[in-house]
Amino acid sequence: MKKQAKKVVLALMASALMLATACGSNAGTNSEAGTNAGTNSGGGDKPITLRMSWWGSETRHEYTKKVIDLYKTKNPNVTIEVEYANYDDYWKKIAPQAAANELPDIMQIDTGYYAQYAGKDQLADLTPFFGKEIDVTNISENALNGGKLGEGVYGMNLGVNSLGFQYDPATLAKAGVDSIPENWSWDDYMSIAAKAKENGIYIDGGMRAEVFFGYYLRTVGKKLYNEAGNGLGYEDDQLFVDFFGKLADLVKSGAAPTPDTLAQIKGVEDDMTVKGTQVGVWQWSNQFVALQQAVNRPMQIAPMLNPGAKEGLYLKPSMFFSISKNSKAKEEAAKFINFFVNDVEANKLILGERGVPVSSVIKDELKPLLSPEQVQVFDYVAWSEENSSPMDPVDPIGAIEVFASLKSVTEQLNYGQISAEDAAKKFRSDAENVLKKNK
Amino acid sequence: MKSLSLRNNLVGYTFISPFVIGFLIFTLIPAAASLYFSFTDYDLLSAPSWIGLENYTSMFTSDDRYMQSLKVTMLYVFLGVPLRLIFALFVAMILNTTSKAVGLYRTVYYLPSIIGGSVAVSIMWRNLFGDQGVINVMLNAIGIDSVRWFGDPNAALFMLVTLSVWQFGSSMLIFLAGLKNIPTELYEASGVDGAGFFTKFFRITLPMLTPIILFNLIMQLISAFMTFVPAYIISKGEGGPLDGTLLYSLYLFRQAFVFFDMGYASAMAWVMLIIVGVLTAAVFATSKLWVHYETEGGR
Repeated sequence: MKKQAKKVVLALMASALMLATACGSNAGTNSEAGTNAGTNSGGGDKPITLRMSWWGSETRHEYTKKVIDLYKTKNPNVTIEVEYANYDDYWKKIAPQAAANELPDIMQIDTGYYAQYAGKDQLADLTPFFGKEIDVTNISENALNGGKLGEGVYGMNLGVNSLGFQYDPATLAKAGVDSIPENWSWDDYMSIAAKAKENGIYIDGGMRAEVFFGYYLRTVGKKLYNEAGNGLGYEDDQLFVDFFGKLADLVKSGAAPTPDTLAQIKGVEDDMTVKGTQVGVWQWSNQFVALQQAVNRPMQIAPMLNPGAKEGLYLKPSMFFSISKNSKAKEEAAKFINFFVNDVEANKLILGERGVPVSSVIKDELKPLLSPEQVQVFDYVAWSEENSSPMDPVDPIGAIEVFASLKSVTEQLNYGQISAEDAAKKFRSDAENVLKKNK
Repeated sequence: MKSLSLRNNLVGYTFISPFVIGFLIFTLIPAAASLYFSFTDYDLLSAPSWIGLENYTSMFTSDDRYMQSLKVTMLYVFLGVPLRLIFALFVAMILNTTSKAVGLYRTVYYLPSIIGGSVAVSIMWRNLFGDQGVINVMLNAIGIDSVRWFGDPNAALFMLVTLSVWQFGSSMLIFLAGLKNIPTELYEASGVDGAGFFTKFFRITLPMLTPIILFNLIMQLISAFMTFVPAYIISKGEGGPLDGTLLYSLYLFRQAFVFFDMGYASAMAWVMLIIVGVLTAAVFATSKLWVHYETEGGR
């Protein structure tokens, strides 16, 4: 009798578990399995199933699926199951998968999260595949090293971005300024801002703190993080005061919008550059096309501010494709990544949406197919390649929390709640608190 | 004989097993795990390492944002819950009349609570309170300057409080049931003695309702502490401006899934449990002083 009872309980538990797993399984998973399990067909290749995940917009989901279909027609033995989401949901989904050792074979990784995953031994080193499964003949060393962490490269750079001032020349003219001077300096910038203000126009919507402070530190030969990634890479808080103090002065003088004005902006329809009340935006080159389309007037990209622009500017990997350490088909995953980066047909679908392609051949092949705005981006990135310095090592673990703290102190500064000196001190103590855990 | 009783028991166990299994898998085991994680440094990606009380101590000694989130949550709870209960009682009294359309009204007033926690409502709220939103238009119409609801840290929290007050439906229904239970003789008798509306309200309605108020107070207190969705949506997940809407649960979520500090987040969850527990106990302790039960009325 007892035995029977045990059986019943076991059966119940099993069914409950099945229910639980059914609930937990991913609703967003689009299984494309079963279509081509053509065993022993063709060259006798074994059927292989890969899981792949990425974040992005609807456009990206669509063309990525097309790229996968294209890959399948050329490699009928490979099935790729896809999981995709928007940026925020993506990381919420990936984290528990990592905790359960169930990361997808191929996954898209962001630079901010890169160290978190690569440093915690979740990703496979790609260097053994370079020159074999992944053809790197047309890819510069610099581009490959964008994913370097310690001795390994744990992510394939999918495209590069460069920083600049993306502005609307018509609004600039309304602001009473003919053009942005070549090799413009901080002084030029401040005087253009002042002139714009006189004409009731904002110069820009501010600079995203962690990106542009990093740039500024590079222009004076410093870095945001130290080599070991367990502390800040600059000792003199005066640098913080100089940079953020200047930006806060713009806000105080009315040349740049106050944070409470910025907080009202919900989407493109409220964007002040689109409305023509703001000259331009400081941001990454891959964001130019969308902005230009929203503005719907010819736009320009001006380079970064001098002095030290060449030392400050760098090409940044837009994102990576990584292979999970637990993948049982690493070579196959590497082959797909190679296809994604090096195949001309595939890149005609991608069209540089994940940043300017790293392969020089692909870049040339795409040129004739691009829209004028895309050409502007490709040209600006090409110019940057000549006028920049190698990028810093990837952000250390905890970078996301450091960004949040930097954002919070600069917000307080722009609200006029603390002085630039206090903000510098507060940021240092917050950041070191987070980073010291990396020791 | 023995086998028969076992079989009887087995049937019982089988019937309660869905709950027992669900409770074990989804409540007890996760709770135990989170208690363990709260004493560790756990980033989800590598194995947790034991650090004793460090999460708990750093919460109160070196984390300004934690204290800020505690402050914001307390403000939200102690401002929002009483306002919500007062409003719920007010509406319940209006609906406790004998109009024919009263059923429709009750449904209409209850609706915000059903859809209340949803994302859509939070987005609607964001639009209502926008720069050119309805609220500012109305303020302007009566001669008050526009308020930057999202830009001003205090205003942003107030906006969340109004959203919570608006979702008064469930407590209103319970009040309504309580009002129906008050014997009409009491009102009639006091009316004969010449009592006016306010006397009736403060001498009869409120005392008779105190058990219901106690129940609503505790339920609302607990749910207010757990508020997450509106703050998440309205502040775009960051609790801004200037951490003015950084509710406790939002900060906990950020620690767990944005900063990957699951150990810290677990510790936060347990501290919240203690806070809510203490507050609930305090409410119960004081209830002897103000809650009247009809059954013990004679003593």
